[in-house]
Amino acid sequence: MRWSVYIVAVLLAAALDASFGSVLAVGELRGQFLPAVVVFALLSAPRKIGVRLAMLAGLVADLLTPVVLDTQETLIVPGPRVLGFALGALAVIQLRSLLYRQNPLAGAAATFAFSLLSAVAFVFLFSMRSLFLDGGAPWWPGSGAGEVWRRLLGAVGDGIVALPTLWLLGKTRPLWAFATATRVAPGLARQGG
Amino acid sequence: MQTPRFIRTLTGKRLDWSLAAVAFVLAMLPASALMPWTGDLARLLSVPLAPVTHLGMLLREQVRPPQAAFDPRAPETAQMEREIAQYRMLYEQSRLEVERLERSLASMRAVSARVDAPETRLIEASVIASDPSRRNGVLALNAGERHGVRAGAAALVDGDVFAGVIAPDVGNFSSSLIPANKLPSIGTRLIPPEGSDPRKLASSYPGAVLKPTGRGTWTAEVATSLELAPGMVARLADDRYGRAALGSRIGVVVSVEPVEQAPLARRVEIRPIVDLDSLSSVVLAVPAEVPR
Repeated sequence: MRWSVYIVAVLLAAALDASFGSVLAVGELRGQFLPAVVVFALLSAPRKIGVRLAMLAGLVADLLTPVVLDTQETLIVPGPRVLGFALGALAVIQLRSLLYRQNPLAGAAATFAFSLLSAVAFVFLFSMRSLFLDGGAPWWPGSGAGEVWRRLLGAVGDGIVALPTLWLLGKTRPLWAFATATRVAPGLARQGG
Repeated sequence: MQTPRFIRTLTGKRLDWSLAAVAFVLAMLPASALMPWTGDLARLLSVPLAPVTHLGMLLREQVRPPQAAFDPRAPETAQMEREIAQYRMLYEQSRLEVERLERSLASMRAVSARVDAPETRLIEASVIASDPSRRNGVLALNAGERHGVRAGAAALVDGDVFAGVIAPDVGNFSSSLIPANKLPSIGTRLIPPEGSDPRKLASSYPGAVLKPTGRGTWTAEVATSLELAPGMVARLADDRYGRAALGSRIGVVVSVEPVEQAPLARRVEIRPIVDLDSLSSVVLAVPAEVPR
């Protein structure tokens, strides 16, 4: 897999989420492009680099979303989405042998699972931070429970956005240079008989 | 020169676990350890993204234009209404300013002349990015120190609507806007929609300290014998957010309920006037010295 293509795709998706993303919001149901890009790579890239791929995207997402502290300062925390995306990636890597990759619904389901698990880690880590450290949680003045519900809706939104995004990314598959191992079964047709 | 052994062994799952451990440590570092470098790193990342975010914002405006674009009235009528709102804000601002000065006079007992308001510089800044995961999150603006932006400057929309304040970490070419609904408290005066009565003192209108509810609205407990009704406008009466923003509109009262524990007080819920998700630009009022 070409890392350069992946990095460009992640940056493009993160930039589109930060600018165009609010158009895709219906109330609290907000879909993002970034999880779909990560899941697209996870479904085809070698398993051994899957977690690192996701962590890189998580780092970009962390760096683009500041948190407002009690002191009315903004803070960038690199880590919660990195670990969240890593957890989501572990799940998708385990699931991918069960998924039929050509089916767009399978990709959307994987994106939903990815977003949901990364949300769990994200809420857990920020809850720890707000309990033991500076008190800045991105969901303030809302509650942690409200954030879980909002993230669940967000995961549904990510799954919906993944349908067209994965289809579009599928068209660019040659650019990504994924290694494909096609098993050739011996038979009459192959032997020319 | 040979690569150290511990680096050679950092491959596969060991590398993944090491990166995860680093990420966990970073996620658990206190703000004082992160603040000096993470903001710069984020600004560095935002540079290559700027053209794409600008394109995304343009697309957003095409697909979902700001609400003002849908105004069905004649442009002259809309313009006149904007001007009326602007002058009403200036009027309320001057009244609140007078009240503030009167308080100062009473406390100092020796001020003979009115202290001129510091020069305010207005800077227009475009919104280049917003938090994709939540409504009304922190916004990134394309104006920074080089453009004269200072921390604590108030952001106004449509001339007289208070949108938030600039966060302390102002970059050279960009800054972050903390939306009004992320501020822990905002001092306001509740004024009838048609404006305040010039014969009454500004202090005779009920004051309310707005606290965010988490649902995108504010709530405040108001102890007053005056009539409170839905439709009243909450205007900024809080010196912390700069004198230029004094008197600007923040929200509209949507409900008034009695408070059981305090019979003389009533709880009001206030809905913000501006939806930050639809903003494409803001005007920053940067005073010569921003009150902290």
